[in-house]
Amino acid sequence: MGMFSESVDVVCAPSGQPLELDWAGRHYTVCAEPVRWYGRRQWWAEEQRAPLGSGPGLVDHEIWRVQVRRTDSAEPDSLTLDLTRHVGSGRWRLLRIHDGLLPVRKPESA
Amino acid sequence: MSFTHLHVSTAFSAHYGVSWPEELAAAAAGDGATALACTDRDGLYGTVKHLLACMAAGLDPIVGVDLAVFDDDGDLRTQVGGRVIVLAHGNNNGAGYRALCRLISDGHARTTGKAGGAVPVAVTRAELASRTLHPETLKPVLTVLIGPDSDVGRAMGGRRYLRPRTLFKRWLDAMPPGTVAAEVVSQLSPPGEPFSTAHAVRMLKLAAEHGVPAVLSNAVRYVAEDGAATADVLDSARTLKSLPELSAAPQLQPNGQGWLKSAAQMLQLGKEIMHAAGYGAADLKNLMAQTEALADRCRIDPVADMGWKQPVVPEASVIGIAGDALVELTQRCEAGISKRFPGITGKPAEELRSRLGHELRIIDSLGFAAYFLTVAEVSRMILDMGVRAAARGSGASSLVNYLIDVSQVNPLEHDLIFERFLSRDRATLPDIDIDVESAERHNVYRRIFERFGSERVTLMSMQNGYRARGAVRDAGLALGMEEGEIGDIAKQLWRFSARNFREALEEKPELKEFAGRVGQRDFSENQQLDLLVDLTERLDRLPRHISMHPCGVILGDATLLDRTPVQPSGLGLPMSQFDKHDMDPMGMLKLDVLGVRMQSAMAFAVREVIRLHPSKAEVVAAGAHPPGPDGTGPDYISPDGKINLNAVPLDDEPTYELIRSTHTLGCFQIESPGQRELIGKLAPREFNDLIIDISLFRPGPMKSDMVRPFLEHRHGFAPEVYPHPDLKPVLKETHGVTVFHEQILKTFDVMTGCGLARADEFRRALGNEVLEGKVEEFFRKEARSRGYSPQVVDKVWGTLKAFGSFGFCKAHGAAFAVPTYQSAWLKTHHPEAFLAGLWEHDPGMYPKRLLVAEARRLGIPILPLDINRSQAEYRVERVATGPDRGKLGIRLSLNGIYGLSGTELKRIVAGQPYDSLADLRARSRLSKPSIQRLAQLGAFDSLHRAAGGTANRADLVQHLQTLQSRPQRKGIDVIEGQLSLPLGDVELKNLKAGLPAPTLVDTVRAELDLMAVDVSDHLMASHRPLLNRLGVTTADQLLGLRNGTEVLVAGVRVATQTPPMRGGRRVVFISIDDGTGCVDSVFFHEAQELAGPLLFGTRLLLIRGTTRRTGPRGISISASMAWDLSRTETLPFPVPASGIPEHREPEPPGPLDGISRNLAITGLGG
Repeated sequence: MGMFSESVDVVCAPSGQPLELDWAGRHYTVCAEPVRWYGRRQWWAEEQRAPLGSGPGLVDHEIWRVQVRRTDSAEPDSLTLDLTRHVGSGRWRLLRIHDGLLPVRKPESA
Repeated sequence: MSFTHLHVSTAFSAHYGVSWPEELAAAAAGDGATALACTDRDGLYGTVKHLLACMAAGLDPIVGVDLAVFDDDGDLRTQVGGRVIVLAHGNNNGAGYRALCRLISDGHARTTGKAGGAVPVAVTRAELASRTLHPETLKPVLTVLIGPDSDVGRAMGGRRYLRPRTLFKRWLDAMPPGTVAAEVVSQLSPPGEPFSTAHAVRMLKLAAEHGVPAVLSNAVRYVAEDGAATADVLDSARTLKSLPELSAAPQLQPNGQGWLKSAAQMLQLGKEIMHAAGYGAADLKNLMAQTEALADRCRIDPVADMGWKQPVVPEASVIGIAGDALVELTQRCEAGISKRFPGITGKPAEELRSRLGHELRIIDSLGFAAYFLTVAEVSRMILDMGVRAAARGSGASSLVNYLIDVSQVNPLEHDLIFERFLSRDRATLPDIDIDVESAERHNVYRRIFERFGSERVTLMSMQNGYRARGAVRDAGLALGMEEGEIGDIAKQLWRFSARNFREALEEKPELKEFAGRVGQRDFSENQQLDLLVDLTERLDRLPRHISMHPCGVILGDATLLDRTPVQPSGLGLPMSQFDKHDMDPMGMLKLDVLGVRMQSAMAFAVREVIRLHPSKAEVVAAGAHPPGPDGTGPDYISPDGKINLNAVPLDDEPTYELIRSTHTLGCFQIESPGQRELIGKLAPREFNDLIIDISLFRPGPMKSDMVRPFLEHRHGFAPEVYPHPDLKPVLKETHGVTVFHEQILKTFDVMTGCGLARADEFRRALGNEVLEGKVEEFFRKEARSRGYSPQVVDKVWGTLKAFGSFGFCKAHGAAFAVPTYQSAWLKTHHPEAFLAGLWEHDPGMYPKRLLVAEARRLGIPILPLDINRSQAEYRVERVATGPDRGKLGIRLSLNGIYGLSGTELKRIVAGQPYDSLADLRARSRLSKPSIQRLAQLGAFDSLHRAAGGTANRADLVQHLQTLQSRPQRKGIDVIEGQLSLPLGDVELKNLKAGLPAPTLVDTVRAELDLMAVDVSDHLMASHRPLLNRLGVTTADQLLGLRNGTEVLVAGVRVATQTPPMRGGRRVVFISIDDGTGCVDSVFFHEAQELAGPLLFGTRLLLIRGTTRRTGPRGISISASMAWDLSRTETLPFPVPASGIPEHREPEPPGPLDGISRNLAITGLGG
């Protein structure tokens, strides 16, 4: 399992649930129902400011754990990824890649 | 579809909830909700505000509490298993609300009311179960929500899979059927963690398995996402851990999703939970329906359930009357007439009768007779205790109050209007405030509890919110900053709301340095400071804790504790969870019994006078009192020398002379720098002048420039102007300027004929955005129809609008002016006893050392500490020897010496007199440091002299220092029957002389350090050579200077004030004491910029400025620059004619050097 913060392009269903994504030049399809939660941020260490009225996204961020498979390849192995969507820009970033051989561990706070 | 939130903490859940009831209600109503719950932690702290907010937003209120429950398996006194939400059922004539109040009181009953107690606020499950049913019908009146924070919810994260079910079943076994529901909450936290969907699913399944209804909630702590960060900071403040520590624990909220989500969002959450549980649409519908069904059961009818706005007073039998309360009140008023107005006849009698009839009719129509009798009963009880008491506030407007001895002010004499106090149009219980001696306040409270019974009385509480200093401290704690650093920042914050911290950084000169540090963004430190500012602003005004209100006592009937939860106060007496804003809505009768230190000081002075002069003749001689009707002295002095202060006539000329001299330090209400300036300008000649003076010295009149025209008219510099001749009778006493509320009422009445009762309603509407317009419309129409010209109407309306909302009630002023006059009278006639009383009870705004300096200025000898003569109180004493022989002096008290404990003090006094140090050691068993400190303060000097030793105080201190502390052998030193030989003190006699005697500076430093008072000499005296070189002018010389003379003044700070000013620009008043008197200086904007951090952080100041003459006897300084006198290298020494700065020796240390312990020395205030 590794920690990343790479940009990914994600195609979502109207409900906001990820369906497909482009990452590192490859196209992936979500192949199982994803899990969504809100994880804490250490905002006091990461942020410069926290004024009243800064709105959502300061204390937590939305995380989707998706199982994906290469769209354009017959490879049967799937990957488990943790994605996060930035509240302000709506852009997605890749947080973690879970090694399929290791049991899925409790996510560490990002 | 609408959704009802059943679990919502408001900001009144101290250190937990973030949002105010009004914000929550407005948001809920905005989303289409029809009801909203308020479930604050541990109590109903926000409930009444919630009711008001719900009514304003058109919601039905739901009332509940978030309460800890003891762990049945653990120690039942200290271990909490979890927290549950308890909701009161509504529309059952208050049965649900009653049970809730009693349950909450149960939860607090075992706590101590002091911070940091070992026993938490919590109920046992048995208590909870016993309160859930109606005591008669046995129907459920409460519902308990078992949610994520309950023992069941908390067990879900554990390893024991079956544990939650076991715990849930226990609840079902313990609670009566129909009183429990499962609370399903998902805050979408990471899978498997508390508040996750997985836990919500388990709770849902437990409910289904046992056939218990489940409801959906979001365990709300803030109205919107933005509040989440504030909640983090509050968690830090509550647990006293920094955010990084809490995060590592992990004890922070799982994420920031605990906000008041919309109905659509809650439905979506429900869907997700059902989906995860594998349930279908019907189950979702069921969950939502059960939530709404419970909400419907819990809708509260404020009137029927909580007695909304229905005044309740003690039962007639309790106040000792059998028949009709009004009949009784009328009879007591009749009795009062013969006592207060003996032999009154003719027109005055007619006026009196008509006024009394008028008041009684209004009291009758409101049904408040029992209320007046209750207040009279309390007042009588206090006077019977021999405690000084005086009514204050608008209660002084009532003749009834005067006749039944509640008030000491005759409203007819001062033209006070009853309607300002009470009228038919004002159905709320009026306020009657009683001032008592501060030292007796707690005894008075206890007597009220005894007299009325503890089921009818409770103390009122008050909410303490975050202000700038506390907020910056807790924000700093959250960020993990060092305490010293936060302390330095907090010290610079001077009375502004934390909400405007960032704004203040730009504006306030004293924060310039800090602002500079925030501004540099290159360093990581500054990220932290930037956050510090933001978090401080977030905490602004949020409630921190409740405490006993300084004066409010709630009186009710036997149902009082069904209507308010109570908890122990620090005093041990129970305290309501409601504050003063909740009284009127809840129909609670509140009596303000305020402890006033000045009353204690005056009582003390009267006792000292009688102790020193135990006969009328002696008192008359000592106080230079008039000979009185029969030549033996005035009637207000009884044969044993006791002065009846309340009977002293209010026209004593020497007293007014003292007041006009502006040497009013220590006098009630007129000692502040601003008041001394005003007194100097106004030059009071009679009691009514004092009333006007006190009424003028208020933020409103000062801000709106009422004072200047008033003074010009008073002194005849400008002709008096009346907007219309009809108003002349109304405004004559204040020379055409509207000062009093009473004048506003009469103005309305004269120009519209509306009657005084409506006039008071109009007055209250002034300043209210919505209502003021209507008042204006009415006023203009009616005044025009009565023939007043448009110009007159315009002008008068302008006055009403400007002054109406903050003018002063004359009755208040009159009630205040009585102790003002009495204290000035005592200072005039018995200054030694009066000053001793002031030192003892420290009533004023200044540090005690200034009042000691005042004694020095008046030539009253200050007698040093003496182990055999000093008592536990200050004492007036006839000086036996020396240059002051025969004068009255004040002996210092043993109380208030640093490090001397209460028990040591008691033992010293009990064992007096002592013939030697050994005797003192043996019988008082003082600790070694205490003996040393007493020696440093010269307490043994007289013993030492008597022993005939040649050594000095320094030798003695050193001797005591080197003594081995020997173990105390009790009971061996004195053998019964054996008389000690009068050898004198061998130890002192044989003390070796060797050290140089302590200098005066050393002695004064020790006095300041250990007593916060400079006794042997004024602390500025040793700086005199330096001040002479600088060319400083002393306070006593200022009055002789022309207006506008440039001067340098110097002294120790005694007061710092930043009153609100016209135009909103801050003005800082700093008063310094230089030993010859006080110099009051004012710093306007530019001078503040120049003085910067010196404004609030320096004890010894050198100030340059120009004199401003404020009146025949008053002068102050308009400052242009200030220096820290202790930093001599920065001072502006005059350059000699040669142009070469002379070589100067460094200044020797002054008395304040090296003292950091005691801030009470100077007037830095809080």
